[in-house]
Amino acid sequence: MSTALARITGLVLLLLPLAALAGTHLCATDALSRQLCLQAPAGRVISLSPGTTELLFSAGAGAAVVAVSAWSDYPPEAARLPRVGDSNRLDLERILALRPDLVVAWSDGNSRTQMDRLEALGIPVFWLAPRDFGDIAAAVVALGRLTGHEARAQAQAEEFLAGIAALQARYADAAPVRVFYQVWDRPLMTVNGEELISKAIALCGGRNIFASLPRLVPRVTEEAVLAADPEAIVTSGQGDSRWLDDWRRFPELTAVARNNLFLVTPSLLQRPTFRVLEGSRELCLRLEQARDSR
Amino acid sequence: MTLAELLRPLLLLALAAGAALLLSVATGSVSLAPDQVLAVFGGGGSELQRTLILELRLPRTLSAFATGGLLAVAGALMQVLLRNPLADPYILGLSGGAAFAALLAMLSGLAGWAVSGSAFAGAMFATLLVFGLAHGRGSWTPARLLLTGVVMASGWGALITLVLALAPARQLPGMLYWLMGDLSQSASPGPALALLVGVCVLLMPLGRTLNVLARGPLQAAVLGVSVRPLEWLVYLVASLMTATAVTIAGTVGFVGLVVPHLLRLLLGNDQRLILPACALAGGTLLVLADTLARGVVAPEQLPVGVVTAMIGVPTFLYLLYRNR
Repeated sequence: MSTALARITGLVLLLLPLAALAGTHLCATDALSRQLCLQAPAGRVISLSPGTTELLFSAGAGAAVVAVSAWSDYPPEAARLPRVGDSNRLDLERILALRPDLVVAWSDGNSRTQMDRLEALGIPVFWLAPRDFGDIAAAVVALGRLTGHEARAQAQAEEFLAGIAALQARYADAAPVRVFYQVWDRPLMTVNGEELISKAIALCGGRNIFASLPRLVPRVTEEAVLAADPEAIVTSGQGDSRWLDDWRRFPELTAVARNNLFLVTPSLLQRPTFRVLEGSRELCLRLEQARDSR
Repeated sequence: MTLAELLRPLLLLALAAGAALLLSVATGSVSLAPDQVLAVFGGGGSELQRTLILELRLPRTLSAFATGGLLAVAGALMQVLLRNPLADPYILGLSGGAAFAALLAMLSGLAGWAVSGSAFAGAMFATLLVFGLAHGRGSWTPARLLLTGVVMASGWGALITLVLALAPARQLPGMLYWLMGDLSQSASPGPALALLVGVCVLLMPLGRTLNVLARGPLQAAVLGVSVRPLEWLVYLVASLMTATAVTIAGTVGFVGLVVPHLLRLLLGNDQRLILPACALAGGTLLVLADTLARGVVAPEQLPVGVVTAMIGVPTFLYLLYRNR
């Protein structure tokens, strides 16, 4: 009996430094520039926005995700996980009841107050706010590290960045295309140059006509669109061409005259995740079509 | 009141309205010189200029004018009807009914005419509901109408909050802009302008009767006015005007409350003068506010309801202070 106890104690003593050593590898810096270190890879992760859910699955941590926020519809297995409320109206009680060892939050959607409360209760919170392709790759690597899938996450991230670099190389010398990207129709909203969609447009050799506006998602007038006279109007819309057809009222718009009104698959460009690569490829093909119509 | 006394202020207001309309048509994120604007109206100008002015700015400006006029006249009528200085076109819950219906339509993915149509239907439903409930079985008084309407308005307010709470985040900007009042969707100002002119003409011969009504139902009855039918007529006309305004531009606040008071401070309380003056001044205020809303941070836009209040509040406070 006592020998067994001694043996176990010895084993524990032997393993402790190993765990501590492992712990030093499980550190990552989040979007709020805070370093989060975990003692062991997170095995019960709750994702608080559809975007973070996708990034967790891309990092290979899908099996560790125990619950997600509403609208987490990709990948399909995420859609079957339990819900903890809408991104900006989370059910803290349910989150606590699931005893997560890591919560992944989205700085544009989740409430700082709610997350601070979770942290005060001892739950580690990791914030993400990807704004460009590099951020997306870095977020996946960080999540991979925190969940113990760093190698796989690293490989995925490199593949993603290689895909982006290939597009960049291909369209670096392409003739510029003036693009209007429509986020919403009533009110009419677009994106400025900081938004990921605008970076995808730039990647394909496009020029976002509203890139220089100060706000991330500015509300603009139809008049301003007419004045800038884009060669292509792109939207992900509601998934149909209703918004695009509205522009046909203005046949003098170059985009209308050349029929460069493009619908890009909604789910591919709207979330900063690996699927942006696929969305960018689709977008680049459309802009190429716009060049051909000259 | 002589005809000259009646016409002079109206003429001045009409001139101001004309100037505001011109300014609005000439201003936008693309700057056009006055002669270019005139050239377009003369049938010239480039294709872009023609589209900008004839298809975008002019319909929007006229919609703004009609909406402002309708709201101001409706507000003046409500103040006479309820004999309460706090009355505005929305006080009886009409805008609440319209907003709830419009937001429900947006929530179910509808857009464009479906939303406007729902707003109009909601407004008329709220009107009839208050009409029926205030009528009830007992005697009818403006106080009872006011209380019924105010309670209904609170009810609509709760339902609107519920829709906002349930709506997915990406639909919220559209809904909030609708609630704040927004003219960017207004397309054909014709019917609203026709209604505005029609109501002003219809109410012209009733001006004297309305003056008597404003003094109180008892005095009106003593002076031979059949009070009940007149009150219902005023209620229904004001409701129809408000419903039309809300259908065009969402719930633009402030115009309906303050423009009538502003004009009473300046012109005295004669409904024969106040009602047409409200049509002109309300329209002018909203046209100016919309011009600012489009121009201040162009090519971005502000909600027009915010701008009406920002122009109107200091103006009104100044006049109130001066008239102590």
